[in-house]
Amino acid sequence: MGEVILTMKGIDKSFPGVHALDHVDFEVRSGEVHALMGENGAGKSTLMKVLTGIYTKDAGTITFEGKEVEFHNPREAQQAGIVIVHQELNMMGHLTVAQNIFIGREPRRGLFINDSAMNDEAKKLFAQLGIEINPKETMSSLTVAKQQMCEIAKAISHDAKVIIFDEPTAALTDAEIDQLFVIIRDLRAKGYGIVYISHRMDEIKKITDRVSVMRDGQYIGTLVTEECTKEEIIDMMVGRVIYEEPKTESHCPPDAPVVLKVEHLNAGRMVQDVSFELHRGEILGFAGLVGAGRTETARALFGADPKQSGDIWINGKKVSINSPKDAVEAGISYLSEDRKRFGIVLKKSITENSTLATLKNFTRGMFINKPKEAEVTQKYVDALKTKTPGIDQLVMNLSGGNQQKVVIAKWLVNDSQIMIFDEPTRGIDVGAKQEIYELMTRLAASGKAIIMISSELAEILRMSDRIIVMCEGRKTGEFDIAEATQEKIMSAATRDIDMQNRKPVQEGEAS
Amino acid sequence: MKDLLNRFKSLKLVRIMGFNRVVLIGVIIVLCLIFQVLSAVLNHGNVFLTYARFTSAMNYGYFIGFLALGVTFVIATGGIDFSVGPVMFCAALISGYCFNNYGFPMWVSLIMCPLIGMVFGTVGGFFVSYLHLPSFITSLALMQIAKGVGSIFTKTQNVSWPGSSDPGGWYRSLSNLDITVGGQRVNIPTGLIILIVVAILCSIVLNKTKAGRYMICLGANREAVRLSGVDTRRWEMLAYVICGTLAGFAAIFYVGCYTTVQPVKGDTFNNEAIAACVMGGTSMAGGLASILGTVIGSFIIAIMQEGILSMGFNIAFQYSLTALILLGAVIADVMSRRRRN
Amino acid sequence: MHMEKSTDLRKQARSAFIRSSAFQRLILIAVLVLLYGFFYLASPSFRKYTTLVQICSNMYYTLLMAIGVTFPLITGGNDLSMGTGLICYSLIGSYLMRIYGWPLWAAILITIGMGVAMGAVNGFGVAKLDIPPFIMTLASMMFCRGMGSILTGGFSGTWPDGAEPGAEFRNVFRLIVKTDTGRMPVPLGMIWMILLVIIMSLVLNKTRVGRYTIAIGSNKEALKLSGVNVLKWHIFAYMICGLFTGFAAVTYAATFSNITPGQGAGFELNAIGAAIIGGTAMTGGSGSVFGTFLGVLLISLLQVGLPFIGLNADWQLLITGGILLGAVTIDKMRNGK
Repeated sequence: MGEVILTMKGIDKSFPGVHALDHVDFEVRSGEVHALMGENGAGKSTLMKVLTGIYTKDAGTITFEGKEVEFHNPREAQQAGIVIVHQELNMMGHLTVAQNIFIGREPRRGLFINDSAMNDEAKKLFAQLGIEINPKETMSSLTVAKQQMCEIAKAISHDAKVIIFDEPTAALTDAEIDQLFVIIRDLRAKGYGIVYISHRMDEIKKITDRVSVMRDGQYIGTLVTEECTKEEIIDMMVGRVIYEEPKTESHCPPDAPVVLKVEHLNAGRMVQDVSFELHRGEILGFAGLVGAGRTETARALFGADPKQSGDIWINGKKVSINSPKDAVEAGISYLSEDRKRFGIVLKKSITENSTLATLKNFTRGMFINKPKEAEVTQKYVDALKTKTPGIDQLVMNLSGGNQQKVVIAKWLVNDSQIMIFDEPTRGIDVGAKQEIYELMTRLAASGKAIIMISSELAEILRMSDRIIVMCEGRKTGEFDIAEATQEKIMSAATRDIDMQNRKPVQEGEAS
Repeated sequence: MKDLLNRFKSLKLVRIMGFNRVVLIGVIIVLCLIFQVLSAVLNHGNVFLTYARFTSAMNYGYFIGFLALGVTFVIATGGIDFSVGPVMFCAALISGYCFNNYGFPMWVSLIMCPLIGMVFGTVGGFFVSYLHLPSFITSLALMQIAKGVGSIFTKTQNVSWPGSSDPGGWYRSLSNLDITVGGQRVNIPTGLIILIVVAILCSIVLNKTKAGRYMICLGANREAVRLSGVDTRRWEMLAYVICGTLAGFAAIFYVGCYTTVQPVKGDTFNNEAIAACVMGGTSMAGGLASILGTVIGSFIIAIMQEGILSMGFNIAFQYSLTALILLGAVIADVMSRRRRN
Repeated sequence: MHMEKSTDLRKQARSAFIRSSAFQRLILIAVLVLLYGFFYLASPSFRKYTTLVQICSNMYYTLLMAIGVTFPLITGGNDLSMGTGLICYSLIGSYLMRIYGWPLWAAILITIGMGVAMGAVNGFGVAKLDIPPFIMTLASMMFCRGMGSILTGGFSGTWPDGAEPGAEFRNVFRLIVKTDTGRMPVPLGMIWMILLVIIMSLVLNKTRVGRYTIAIGSNKEALKLSGVNVLKWHIFAYMICGLFTGFAAVTYAATFSNITPGQGAGFELNAIGAAIIGGTAMTGGSGSVFGTFLGVLLISLLQVGLPFIGLNADWQLLITGGILLGAVTIDKMRNGK
C-alpha cells in the first residue's frame, strides 16, 4: 500500500427529506483495494456519485493527489483520473470494443476516424491487462465479464489513478470472478487505488486490503481485512439501536393452513429456483439487499414478467398464472415497489383508481354503477383515513402516504386472500408508516396471507412472523421471527453462494 | 386579470363544460363574426351568417365529426390514427361501387360502410395492441393500404353515389332532409341530429362504461392498469375498432353531401380530425379525452372551411390553415404536458 | 468439454450473424434478384433497357429522403416532415425564381438551406426539448404544408424547363445520348446517387457524425457520461436528414414539371419503409446506408415492375403499405423493446 491518494473528509449531502451523507470520511491509498460496504440506503453509491461529480456535496472536502478538487460532472472526474466502472455497464452495445473505449476522443486522419489506430491502441491496453479480447468485436456480442474488462481497459486508458468498482461480480461466473481478481491484483501492484463496492463477504475477504463500512448515511469505521472477522463487519453494518419493538414471536397460529405454495420458480438471473410457502394469517417478510431478486420473484409470481418454470399452488390447487389478470383472478394482489409508475394512474381520481382492479364488480352490464363505486371508495377512504378533500380528487395531488393508501384500497376492494406488499412504506412519512403497519397487522389477523418485501431491517423485524432472505436471485435464508436477528439476516443477505454448495442458511448454522 | 379569470372559471356553466370547451365556443363565435365582417367587405353582400351557409358548413362538419369522434378513442389510449380519411373513402368507394355495379340494395351498401371501417380498425388495433407496433407507423401503413384497396376495387375510377332523386337516393336524407313547409323549402340538418346522438353514445361509452374507463386509464398509465389485472390489449384494440367503424360510418355522410368519391385521396381529413380532437382538449399523451370538445372542434373546422370558401380563397389555403391549427394545437398540448410534469 | 465449447461458440457466432443486419442485406439482395427474375420471366416488355432506366429515375428523390432519414432512424427517432417539406421547399424555390426573378443557383441554395434549417428545428425539439420525434416532425409536417401554400398563394410552382434559362439543371439527372439506333437515355442521376451512397456510408461509419449518431441510438446516456456533446450531434443527425430533404426537393423539381401544393404527405413513407427493410432498426443503434439503398431499389423495382404484370399504381400503394407494415413487424420481432 502506498501513499494516500484520495481523501474525502466530512462529506455531507442531503436531499429533500433525506440526510443521505452525514459527515462521511473515506480515503484511498495507491496500490490498495479498499472495500466500501453497507446495506441499502447506507450511502455508498451516493458517496461515489459525489466523488465522481454526479452530485454536488453540501459540505466537506475532497483532496486528490494533494490538491483540493471539486468535480462538476463525470467527465471532469474522469479527466482528473477517477473512474467508475458501473454495475450497469455504460456502453453502446452496437459499437465495437475499440469504438467504445475511445468514444469521444477518436484519433482522426483528416475528417475520418482512424479505426485501425484505435484497434491497435485497444490491443495494447488489453495486453497491459493480460486479457484477450478482439477490439473489432461488437460490444453486445461479448459476455458481461468481457464487457466489464473493456470498461476496465477504458478506465486505464484515461490514465486513471483511482478506479471504483460498483458491484462488479454480480453477473459473473466463478471462473470470470477469478479472472477479474487477477486483473485487480495486477492493477494494485501497478499502484492504482481501487475502491471495491460489494456485499459479497467472501470476496471482500479474498481481494481487499481494507474495509470501510457505512450505515444510515454515516461513516462507521475502517478495518484491515486480514485482521477482522466477517462478524465484525456485519456488526458494523447493522449495529444500530432499533427504537421500535421487533416482534418476539409469530402471531400466525401454528395450525394455519398453507394458502400459497411456490416451487422451483425460475425467471432469468434474478429468480433462481425459489420455493416457499405462505400460511393463512401470516406476514412473511422478504429481506435482502437491492438487486436480490425479491421484486422479480413477486412479479414472476404475479404473472407480470414471464417465467421459465415454476409451480404455484393456491389453497392446495395448482394454478396457472401467466398474466396479472390470472393472478388477480386467482386471488393475489401485488402492490408495486414504484407506486407512481406501476401502482396508480396519477391523472385519475381516487375513485377511478380504487376500482381499477375490480371494475367488473361495479358494472351493470356494460355500465359502471357510479353510486356504488363512490360508496365503496368512500368506505375505504374512511377506513384507511386517507387524507383528501374528496373521492374525486386526482391522485397526483395526494401525498405519498395517501397515494399508497389508495393503492392499498384498490387491492382491498379486490378482497384477495394473498397480498404482496413491495416496499410498502418507501417514501412515506412516519405517521403514515405507523398506520400502514397497523393495517397490515389487522389484515393478517383477519385471515389474509401477506408477503412483505422490504429493504429496511427494522421494518422486517417489526412486522414479519417469518422471514425469507434472498441474495442474487436465490433464497439464502429462512427464519422464524423468534430466532431472527439483524446479523443473521444480513449474513444471509450477503452470503456469496458457492456455485457447488447451494444450501441456504438454517438456524444455528455457523457462518 | 388573474382574478377575473378565476371568477370566470368558477361559473357553474364553465365548470360543467370545462374551461377549454367554453373557450372553444367563444372561438366559434369570434370566427363567425370575423367571417361575417370579412365576407361583407370582400364579397359585397354575399354575407356569411345565413342559414344556407350554416347547412353548407354542417355538411363538412358531419363526416369530419364522425372521423374525429373515432380518433378521440384512439388518442385517449395514447395512440394516433392517420388512416381515418382514406379508410372512410375506401368504405365509400367499395360500398358505392357495389351499389352501382353489382346491384346491392342501398341499405346493404350503407351497412357495408361501417363494416369495412371495422375491418381496418381491427387490423390496425391488432398490430398495435397485440404486436406492440408503434401506432403512428401502423396507421400510416394502413392509410396506404386503404388507399390502394379502395382504388383497386373501383379500378381507379371515381364512384358517384345516387343523387336525391335517383333510386336509392333516400340515404341522403340521413344528412339533409328537404321538406316543404307552407310552400317554402326548408332544409333540416338531419346529419347534425345523428352526429349529436352518436356523440352522446360515444360520450356514454367513454365516461360511463367499463370499456371507456379502461381505455382512458390505459392511455394514462398502461402498465399500472395491466398490473391491476386488466387485459389491456383487448381494450386498446377496441379503441381502434371503434375508430375504424366510425370512419366507415362517416362515409355515409360524406357521400350524402358530396356524392362523389375519388380514390387515393382523403388524407387531408386526417389532419382535420386530429386537429378537432386535440383542440377539443383530448391530449395526445393519452388519458384525457373530451367528446364535447371534439364535437366543438369539428364545428370550428367546418366553419373555418366554409368561411374560407365563402371568401373565395383557394382550397389549398384551407389545408394550410388546418395544418397550422394542428401545429398550434400540438404545440399547446406539448407545452401543457411539460408544465404538468 | 473443449469440443463442446468450440461448437457452442460457433453456433453463437452463427446465430449472431443471422440476427445481424449484414444477413438482412444478404437476404434483401436475394429477394431483389428473385423479384427481378420474376418480372423478367413474367413480362417480355419488362426486359427492355428503358425499364432499367425507369427503375433508376423512379428512385431518385425517394432514395435521397431515405438516405437522409436513415440518420434520425438510427438515433431511434424518425422524420415525418420530409414529404411535405420537399414540396414546400421546392415551391418556395420556384416562387423565388418566378416572382422575384432569382437565379437558379440561388433558388437551389435556398431550397436546400430550408431543408437544413427545418432539420435543425426538428433536431432541437427532439434533442433539447425532449419532444417525441413523431410529434415534433408531425408539427413540422403541418408547418411545411401550411407555409408552402400560404407563402405561394396556393398556386402550383414550376422550375425552369424546356428552353428556359436554367433548365439545364434537369440534365444533371437525365442525359439523352444520341446513338446509332436512336436516342438512348442514360440515367446519369444514378451515378450521383451511387456516389452519395458511398459518401454517406463513409460518413456513417468513419466520421464522428455517423459514429455518434449510432452511439446516441445505442445508449444516449452512456454517450453523455463519456463527455460527448450529445445535443450537438443529435441535432446534426436531423440536419443531415433536412439536407437530404433539400436535395430531394431539387430532384423532385427536376423530375416533375409541376409542383402541387398540399401534396407530399406520404412521400416519406416509402423512404422510411426502405430504410427499415434495409436493416435500420426503429429502435436505433444500427443501420446501413447501403441497406437503405437496397430497400429503395426494392420499392422502385416493385413500383415499376407491377404495371408490367397488370397491376397498376394502386397495387403499388397497397403493396408498399403492406411492405412498410411487414418491415416494421419484422423489425419489432428481431429487435424487441
